[in-house]
Amino acid sequence: MRETIGNRIFYVCNYALLTLAGLICLLPLLNVLALSLSEPAAVLAGKVTIIPIALQLDSYAQLMTGTSVVRSFYNSLVITLVGTCLCMLATILAAYPLSKRYFVARKFLTLAIVFTMIFNGGLIPSYLVIKSLGLINDYGALWLPALVSAYNMLILKTFFEGIPEELIDASRMDGCGELRLLTRIVLPLSGPVLATLTLFYGVGFWNSFMNVLIYINSSDKMNLTVMVQQMISSQMLETLSLRQDEVEQLTTPEGLKAAAIMILIMPMLVVYPFVQRFFVKGVMIGAIKG
Amino acid sequence: MNTQLKDGGSALSKTLKQNLPLLLMFAPVAAYFLIFKYAPMVGLVIAFKQYGLADGIWGSPWTGLDNFNLLFSNPQMVNIIRNTLVLSLLKIIVGFPFPIMLALLLNEVKALWFKRVTQTLVYMPHFLNWVIIGGMVITLFSLESGMINQVLEQLVGYRYAFLYNEWSWISVFLGSGIWKEAGFSAIIYLAAITAIDPGLYESAALDGASKWRMMWHITLPGIRPTVIILLILSMESVMDLGFDQIYMLQNRVVNNIADVIPTYMYRMGIQGGQFSLTTAMGLFSSLVGLILIVTSNQIAKKFNQSLW
Repeated sequence: MRETIGNRIFYVCNYALLTLAGLICLLPLLNVLALSLSEPAAVLAGKVTIIPIALQLDSYAQLMTGTSVVRSFYNSLVITLVGTCLCMLATILAAYPLSKRYFVARKFLTLAIVFTMIFNGGLIPSYLVIKSLGLINDYGALWLPALVSAYNMLILKTFFEGIPEELIDASRMDGCGELRLLTRIVLPLSGPVLATLTLFYGVGFWNSFMNVLIYINSSDKMNLTVMVQQMISSQMLETLSLRQDEVEQLTTPEGLKAAAIMILIMPMLVVYPFVQRFFVKGVMIGAIKG
Repeated sequence: MNTQLKDGGSALSKTLKQNLPLLLMFAPVAAYFLIFKYAPMVGLVIAFKQYGLADGIWGSPWTGLDNFNLLFSNPQMVNIIRNTLVLSLLKIIVGFPFPIMLALLLNEVKALWFKRVTQTLVYMPHFLNWVIIGGMVITLFSLESGMINQVLEQLVGYRYAFLYNEWSWISVFLGSGIWKEAGFSAIIYLAAITAIDPGLYESAALDGASKWRMMWHITLPGIRPTVIILLILSMESVMDLGFDQIYMLQNRVVNNIADVIPTYMYRMGIQGGQFSLTTAMGLFSSLVGLILIVTSNQIAKKFNQSLW
């Protein structure tokens, strides 16, 4: 059956608008990439749009050797990997008991956790607590306060509650204790949700900005995000690219800025295509049940 | 109280036996919430005191509502509160149609490859942090070398300082927020759309309804509950605007409209050491957030769609 004219127009509009949306998401990235790979003259003249002019890698070379991006990159990795593991562990330990109907005070505890989603002590009191624990300038200040995201915990809890009772009863008859039940039965069944939450925590830690800004003071402990921000907002890039001993100017502050941004995005772009299929499913599960 | 079970054990000891491993599992979590979520709430008292580093929380003298008086009598402070409210509400109102539109559009796509590519592109900005996006925005809209201004110059002949004029700054602020989150938020709406009974569409098609009609009469009402719940949830973020975005996009010129509560708290509190004053501001904004979310839930109850 042929589509009516009205429906045809519908589809045309549909595809056109979506193409526009896709381009809007893609072009800024291409622009920054191009700026980071172009020669200084073109960058200064404002000629670069989405294609690099006179390809060169000098911006990246200068960044790698002249600043502490490599160190910060490594710091970000440590913060992300350790933090994500700790958070996943804590979230599972929180969601599992709360998903069992026979757990005492289950309703009360769930409510107490949900309450923290809508009211909290604020920036300064939290800062004071962390200070009193001696965690200033320590990565613990980044990991511990974020151990359990109430939101993520609820998603996991709902998922656990959805696991069929028969499976659990069957293993219980075989003499399974709670721990065995958790590790052998429940967790293997939770693949997509666990992957999604790992992704959320991981991305959150990699992108941490305000926390690191507040709690980390020494520059050799900074993560990549804060480092790049400081580079962008300070004069560091100007001095780097306009060194007096260079005969010819190899880079511009703009180009260096673009290269710094690209270094920050790169890991995300590399990991993203692989995880994309997981998180859509995971978010949908969470959205429907939540 | 201690009823006897068939096998001789008591109900009480059975409950204990069942719960012990669970309690052990939950114990570290309970400790976490107590230390890092509830203990700071106790620290809120310094809003009513004059906190001094030497005195600590308990030793500092009480000053009652002095801090609050100081806050609300200072015109700059009132400005900051106004900015926070205005920017947040604009963000919610202007921003909420876009994820819905995206979800509606994506839902109707028939070519799977197109859907996949578009989804990949559109979800991605959510995973970027504000240093990246802020940096990109500053680069894109820069007066001398920004791509936007180059195109603008070719079209109309002059360049415009987007980030240094109040209204254009607000537009860039809102636009970048939408750019980042619209795609990802669309996933939730997509999930809601797939939950709509396909039979409704079939019978509508049999009755000769066009695609536009179906969208208006079936899809939109079908996701109404989701829209309302998400709107309620977003009320909570009205006062807690989000530090990163403003911090990256702020500059001296637009400070009058761009300074908000989170950046104020960072500047005056962490950097300036004015603990009591900023805690008072924080307490105020948390309370407003709480009131907003409870009120919007009550309103939603009238439409039979509440969170609790």
